[in-house]
Amino acid sequence: MSVETVVTQDDLAEMVEQVWVSYLDPEGVSPLVLTGDEKQATEVHSTVSITGTWHGHLVYACSLQAAKKAAAAFLAMEEDEVGQEDTSDVLGELANIVGGNVKAMLPAGCFLSLPTVVLAPDTASYYPAAEQISGLYGVWDGQPISITMWQSVKQGEASA
Amino acid sequence: MVIDDSRAMRMILKRIVAKLNFEAIEAGDGQEALDLLATMTEVPELALIDWNMPNMNGLEFVTKVRAEPRLREMTLVMVTTESEQSQIVRALAAGAHEYVIKPFTEGAMIEKLALLGLVPTGANS
Amino acid sequence: MTLSQADFAFVSTLVRREAAIVLAPGKEYLVEARLIPVARQVGAASVNEFLANLQRKPNPDDQRRIIDALTTNETSWFRDREPFTALTDVVLPELVKSRGSARKLRLWSAASSSGQEAYSLAITLQEALPAGWSYEIMGSDISTEMIKRAEQAEYSQVEVNRGLPATQLVQYFERVGAHWRVAPHLRRNVSFKHMNLTAPLPSIPQFDVIFLRNVLIYFDVATKKSVLRNVARLLRPDGWLFLGAAETTIGIDDNYERVAAGRTSAYRVRSAVPAGAARKG
Repeated sequence: MSVETVVTQDDLAEMVEQVWVSYLDPEGVSPLVLTGDEKQATEVHSTVSITGTWHGHLVYACSLQAAKKAAAAFLAMEEDEVGQEDTSDVLGELANIVGGNVKAMLPAGCFLSLPTVVLAPDTASYYPAAEQISGLYGVWDGQPISITMWQSVKQGEASA
Repeated sequence: MVIDDSRAMRMILKRIVAKLNFEAIEAGDGQEALDLLATMTEVPELALIDWNMPNMNGLEFVTKVRAEPRLREMTLVMVTTESEQSQIVRALAAGAHEYVIKPFTEGAMIEKLALLGLVPTGANS
Repeated sequence: MTLSQADFAFVSTLVRREAAIVLAPGKEYLVEARLIPVARQVGAASVNEFLANLQRKPNPDDQRRIIDALTTNETSWFRDREPFTALTDVVLPELVKSRGSARKLRLWSAASSSGQEAYSLAITLQEALPAGWSYEIMGSDISTEMIKRAEQAEYSQVEVNRGLPATQLVQYFERVGAHWRVAPHLRRNVSFKHMNLTAPLPSIPQFDVIFLRNVLIYFDVATKKSVLRNVARLLRPDGWLFLGAAETTIGIDDNYERVAAGRTSAYRVRSAVPAGAARKG
């Protein structure tokens, strides 16, 4: 089964928008503006893995500034007060929230891992035997943010 | 009690319940929460519980709490990304009183708590 | 382009009056951002033009568009709770007694918007009516877009978080992708119709209960009178009318009498209020 048809790009966009509406932009004045710029560079990222009836990963990547901005929103702090631990924590929670909602749209019997956070560009992480099947690319107050979905591909198996 | 392995999420929840005049005690996982409860003479009125946490997840925590007579009075609200119908049913069956799906707006959380009679009249988001 | 003080005051007054939302000074940017799509939708060249037109010539539809735009994600299930509790505790038991032979109830959610009120009524009846009873709920709205949304009966995760007990979520909704859709067994009792309350209403069978909540406030007194008159024709002589928390028929239509209903009030046609009904002192 092709999971892109189960979780469409629009679905992903809607879930991400709800994160903004709920925590990062409750007043509706600084949304995530989707640009489709797959080439944009990121500086930090977090990942959750999904296992069970479906295998893959959900990656949340952004600039350090965007991560601090998100942390500032969650923790009701000023951006310059945000420390590394807070940034990591928020990155992890964002991957957790989006990943959890994606999982709910997948076939029953999936499990979500705890998030891992890497304070390096998302290109620094390599997902062996996984291919990207979906991606949202945008800017938040000028800062790059991308959310990508990866599916594990077994050796010798054609992708659905 | 606010039980979530994410400090950021605990902060969000603390802020919301503070508006309802609740003082929040934090725990990073189910085991930590149980350990804290064991030391407390006054049982908290409300616990907001994440599902996926290390050491002991939210579902296990709910099950353990509902099995203990001393903790009978606690209102248990799941606050989680687990949003499949079957998961919600599981949590309610285990004894959770309410269920909030992440992401949630502040208004939604307050309304859920109002459903449980935990919002003092006049408090508004 | 910034919102003038006068325009901001106009919008603030509107939302405070209609939705009990307070827009503190400094939120001009917020109001403007949210109203840009609304202005576009009605074909105005700018938010300023849209608001100028509206202040010159009041228009309930546009007023509602403003409220909707500024209260996104604020629409709740079982809004205000008390009318629904009153239904369960007071109104339905009485109707069950008096409609014993027909064993069927008709309810109308007039100004149903995206459908939450109509489906909330359905859930209330589903849970409160005894076995062997059936019900029909009609939702109506002046906006065809809203009717379509209501008929689709799909709500986002954020929307179903609002005021809907989890037990009812799992019982009456099913997941569809990122959304939750009202389950067929509930939907089959609810239908929607495009209707303008200020115009003569179609001749349809009368209703036992009408929810006309937070609609009258958009109209001037003359229109309020005609709406209440129109609505009264579709209310059964011993039926119940529920208005919004801050609304009343008093001073507008003497044909209705306010009665206590649980912790809130309802309105019943004056002449036919049965002797046993609770009267507000």
